[in-house]
Amino acid sequence: RIQPVRAAPDKISEKVEESIKNAQEACAGDPTSGECVAAWDEVEELSAAAKDARDKQKEKDSDPLETFCKDNPETIECKTFDE
Amino acid sequence: MAACTVYSTQSLSTNCSISTPSKTQLSFHQKQVVFYTTSRRNSKRGINSGRSYVITCAASDQQTVVIGLAADSGCGKSTFMRRLTSVFGGAAEPPKGGNPDSNTLISDTTTVICLDDYHSLDRTGRKEKGVTALDPRANDFDLMYDQVKAIKDGIAVQKPIYNHVTGLLDPPELIKPPKILVIEGLHPMFDSRVRDLLDFSIYLDISNEVKFAWKIQRDMAERGHSLESIKASIEARKPDFEAYIDPQKQYADAVIEVLPTQLIPDDNEGKILRVRLIQKEGVNFFSPVYLFDEGSTISWIPCGRKLTCSYPGIKFSYGPDTYYGNEVSIVEMDGQFDRLDELIYVESHLSNLSTKFYGEVTQQMLKHADFPGSNNGTGLFQTIVGLKIRDLYEQIVATRAETPVAAKA
Repeated sequence: RIQPVRAAPDKISEKVEESIKNAQEACAGDPTSGECVAAWDEVEELSAAAKDARDKQKEKDSDPLETFCKDNPETIECKTFDE
Repeated sequence: MAACTVYSTQSLSTNCSISTPSKTQLSFHQKQVVFYTTSRRNSKRGINSGRSYVITCAASDQQTVVIGLAADSGCGKSTFMRRLTSVFGGAAEPPKGGNPDSNTLISDTTTVICLDDYHSLDRTGRKEKGVTALDPRANDFDLMYDQVKAIKDGIAVQKPIYNHVTGLLDPPELIKPPKILVIEGLHPMFDSRVRDLLDFSIYLDISNEVKFAWKIQRDMAERGHSLESIKASIEARKPDFEAYIDPQKQYADAVIEVLPTQLIPDDNEGKILRVRLIQKEGVNFFSPVYLFDEGSTISWIPCGRKLTCSYPGIKFSYGPDTYYGNEVSIVEMDGQFDRLDELIYVESHLSNLSTKFYGEVTQQMLKHADFPGSNNGTGLFQTIVGLKIRDLYEQIVATRAETPVAAKA
């Protein structure tokens, strides 16, 4: 089974930067060409993906204990009981 | 042979309805299975001995309710989804153990699928052809229709995954029929066949000024982005957006319109918003929310002794209107709350909210005080639409239980 590798947020940032450069080049000649429009659409898609990655990372960083407890529910600092 | 009918409205997989002596019907959650028997067991009792009996197993009274949510990318669909799934209880999470870049969210009752997964062209394909993701030519509506229809009929499907990071179409994932299926993306109401499958549809309509302000907030921190690049990206996508996405709002049962405030002259910060909930009249199982008196035209400023508001305050409006030739009711909120718990004062003046108890809207909003839009009309109206969808779902399920589906002979 092929398991795609998740790109690191850093890598997405690089991709966004690259895609903006490409779009600016693609639009240098004709700003209404399909090539130009598709290039800016790619920028939008990558910017949205970058935002998602940032949000995910922020959620992870927001509560270090929660993140730790997800992987180690049996440790003393993570145990909770419903009584 | 005894005739009996057994059904329950809520349980997921054990609904049985056994009708007529000659036809036996058993319902399971998934696939249709038909058994034919030619038994002589009943001959002693003299009932049609030797006749064929049909047992139909269908998802009849546990049919999936399908909701469509349309909005442009980066316009708060995910926040809306989290508010919606929270109304039904339980958190929505990506499918466990699958593709880490899956766009699907699953909770106990609800499955949300992203329609980008039905792209027929991947990122390179679109570049070669010079089309955007907004263009219908980049999307496979036949597959979208087939799979949404199958899920609605109670059949699990293998749905492709569009990977937003790599821009490629990944191997498919299994989607099982949930109680509520939400299809969200750019084109849920574009294809008339898919549109007809929807039990309810919502369009998030963000004005250009607000879209620009939101994208600045989202992208300015990103390397390479500048005001010019953000503007250029919005401008480049605009023709396709206006041709293919925007016209879908005429079909929506509810439109949430987000506009710049009118309380501050020439405001273009996009922080204070005027939000309108446009609700279609005469939609099955959906009765619009109103302020004070149904059908009147009202303007209300709640700020005063009972509600603390700082500059620029809050203003509500309500009234009947027409929208793309349809009769609608519009509730509007301009401004923002300073203290979320005072929202209860506003809630108590709104009617037809479909809450289960007094204060449920406020409670839902407080639960997610950290989500974007929690102090203005976007959060308020998204929460209300969530409650309306719960009500709609419960009515649809109750109606199905009242009329056991006839066995297919």
